[in-house]
Amino acid sequence: MVNENLVKDVVKEPYKYGFVTDIETEKIEKGLNEDIIKLISQKKEEPKFLLDFRLKAFKKWQKMKEPNWAALGYKKIDYQDIIYYSAPKQKEKISSLDEVDPKLLETFDKLGIPLTEQKKLTNVAVDAVFDSVSIATTFREELAEHGVIFCSISEAVKNHADLIEKYLGTVVPASDNYFAALNSAVFSDGSFVYIPKGVTCPMDLSSYFRINSGDSGQFERTLIIAEESSSVSYLEGCTAPMFDTNTLHAAVVELIALDNASIKYSTVQNWYAGDEEGIGGIFNFVTKRGKCLGKRSKISWSQVETGSAITWKYPSCLLLGEESVGEFYSVALTNNLQQADTGTKMIHIGPKTKSTIVSKGISAGKSKNSYRGLVKMGTKATGSRNYSQCDSMLIGDQASANTFPYIKSQQPNSEIEHEASTCRISEDQLFYLQSRGIEFEEAVSMMVSGFCRDVFNQLPMEFAAEADKLLALKLEGSVG
Amino acid sequence: MEIIEKIKTNKSDDNLTEIQKICLHKLQSSPLPNPKSELWRLSNKSKFSNFLDYSFNEKDSKFDIPYPKKSQSTIRLIIGENCQIKLIEKNYSIQQLSEDELQKYIKEQISFFKQNENWSDLLNLSLSYKNNILGLKINGSKIPPIEIFSHASSNSLKAKTLVIFLEKNCNVELLQVNLGKENSSLSQSTFFCLKENSSVNHGVVSYGENRSNLLNSLNVIQQKNSAYNLGSLHFKFNYARFEISIQQSAGNAKTNIKGMQITKKDEQISTYTKIEFNGPNGFLDQINKSLADDKSHAIFEGSIIVPKIAQRTDASQLSRNLLLSNHAQIDTKPQLEIIADDVKCKHGATISQLNEEELFYMRTRGITLTEASKLQLSSYFQEIISFIPISKDKWDLLDKLLNEN
Repeated sequence: MVNENLVKDVVKEPYKYGFVTDIETEKIEKGLNEDIIKLISQKKEEPKFLLDFRLKAFKKWQKMKEPNWAALGYKKIDYQDIIYYSAPKQKEKISSLDEVDPKLLETFDKLGIPLTEQKKLTNVAVDAVFDSVSIATTFREELAEHGVIFCSISEAVKNHADLIEKYLGTVVPASDNYFAALNSAVFSDGSFVYIPKGVTCPMDLSSYFRINSGDSGQFERTLIIAEESSSVSYLEGCTAPMFDTNTLHAAVVELIALDNASIKYSTVQNWYAGDEEGIGGIFNFVTKRGKCLGKRSKISWSQVETGSAITWKYPSCLLLGEESVGEFYSVALTNNLQQADTGTKMIHIGPKTKSTIVSKGISAGKSKNSYRGLVKMGTKATGSRNYSQCDSMLIGDQASANTFPYIKSQQPNSEIEHEASTCRISEDQLFYLQSRGIEFEEAVSMMVSGFCRDVFNQLPMEFAAEADKLLALKLEGSVG
Repeated sequence: MEIIEKIKTNKSDDNLTEIQKICLHKLQSSPLPNPKSELWRLSNKSKFSNFLDYSFNEKDSKFDIPYPKKSQSTIRLIIGENCQIKLIEKNYSIQQLSEDELQKYIKEQISFFKQNENWSDLLNLSLSYKNNILGLKINGSKIPPIEIFSHASSNSLKAKTLVIFLEKNCNVELLQVNLGKENSSLSQSTFFCLKENSSVNHGVVSYGENRSNLLNSLNVIQQKNSAYNLGSLHFKFNYARFEISIQQSAGNAKTNIKGMQITKKDEQISTYTKIEFNGPNGFLDQINKSLADDKSHAIFEGSIIVPKIAQRTDASQLSRNLLLSNHAQIDTKPQLEIIADDVKCKHGATISQLNEEELFYMRTRGITLTEASKLQLSSYFQEIISFIPISKDKWDLLDKLLNEN
């Protein structure tokens, strides 16, 4: 018989990224109106088209209602009580990493993010975003040699305005949903990636998002364009300090893959999740969508969601190009009073398109973990195929696991398969492992790791190790 | 509001029964279901308003059963016509519920109603009146099969209500047939209460004619150790909704559901099921099949709710769909909502067309394409039809499905 308390102890683990960096920041006043948007745009010295884009989005946002269909319960967000721009004060222009405030470098060091020289061995280029601005992007020269553009979106607006104007908002239009409209109006920074024709990006690209202030929201925007026959693997990580207030994070990620291009987008989301009583934590409302425009293009999302008090996130693929492929691999772990409503949308538009969905949800404590997904076969999607698998694991009798798959088909020559199951950690398996001398805690950890294996296998190597560790940490506790 | 006016024009306030008044009052606050709610968002709006278009009157025209003559061993009842029954035999008894029992039970049910989930019931109960409400109390075993008919005649909207109490240790086979005549709308609500250790094999066959509509709602409450087996088939309706709500009030009960809907032309048929486990050791095995051809639309939405109290629940749900035409559409949404941790729950869904390899195999053996598809379809249908408690020589449903257009 499994000792219930033991399992409960195992899932308790303090949040280790909860420190606050004491750094002078420049903030604008709270509230949201046209003047604030103009001010943000002015601070970022943006061209007119972008200001118009923001104002148009703001007008749309004002007419929209906050969605309430998700299986989430949270206190009403006061959008006028949020600071929409916050940046660490530093010298006007940074020409090299040496000029970055050492405190910031220290912060990212503490988070295990290599921004400085000695870490270059890892062969991952990093764009570090602190509150509303990008602090540094590493390996730029090396990338530039291959023609790859990897910079903050603010820089891209200045240096590659044509690309931004051409692609921004084409995958996630401002009117897409409430949070996308809000993001379009006030987005501060984020990453921009452009992979030219025929180039395989020589290293993994990575963005690291850090929220530092308790009263400012974070609204980053990421845009990745993979030209014909190019490929890139992009990693994203997030953390935030512990505050007893809720911080809003509303991001938009747009991916565009042209003929034969492939984009792999991996996320380890570990925002602060609030304490055991559910006080504090990040409200995470994210719109992520990729467009497989070209023939045989491929977009693959993999995510490990362990943080945030509220997660509302559905990385999606629009499969337009013939024989394009969409993939979604997700592990979502919720504990205490966390709530996650996450899943994906696979919209098959072009012929012979294929998609795979593998989602693993683990709910512990009093948390709520829902999978919500849509698979749609349009009338032209002949010979298309989808396979979905959603498994949930429950730890303790107060957590809940829900599955809401929406399946819609208008094409007889396509096939859709969906399966879902719910289980708990099997006593037999635990007993087996323990009888072989494996500690209870380690056994639970192994089982969870095994449960998530299908997804971890899809993560880039650096991340897979991190994700496994992260889950083990979250599930590690004071046993024995 | 129109619908309320319609009911009222037929009757003055004084003539309405208490139940009708309660339901009308509830309908008044929101006369139509919310089209944005999960349960109604896919419903075809013009077809739904067509349902309400027909004039409502209580009197039934003479019902001419196009079905095999009653055999000696079957008890046959037609709601609205020959509702009088009192059978007390050695092994069993079938009696009508008294007015008080009926009122009390329906009122209790209404108190749990939710506006969108039970809109069809609210409509039904505000329309149906005296003769069109049949309440039965069934006791004992070795009961001959029972057949209960509901029908709507052409150019009218009819409401029929059926309430059935299965007493302890009772065991029965019951076939419910809903028939829609050309240009008609039928609202059928059925309430089942299964007491401890009782079991029922319940068949629901709904068969329409040209442009007939149906709102069919089924509410089942299962007490401990009861077994509820449902086999259902809906076809040939311009617009039909089958709403099933099953509650295992103290767990420890068994539920088996095998349902099928077949849509052709521009028909829309949908099935919504909600199964709640309010106690431990519950069991559910559900399969729902749809077949959509021509320009039709088939919908299935099933939810399984397992609260904390329902430990050791074993529930599985499968939605299998055949899409046979480029213009047809299928929507399916099996859902699980689980809080208890010691449970086995799973669901699955597939949408595809007839298996080409199987077709090819049969054709290489000299079977024509039409014959081969028919064979495949019959095996697809057979799993469900064999579960419906009907005597095969009287009701050749398979033949009907395969050979009628």
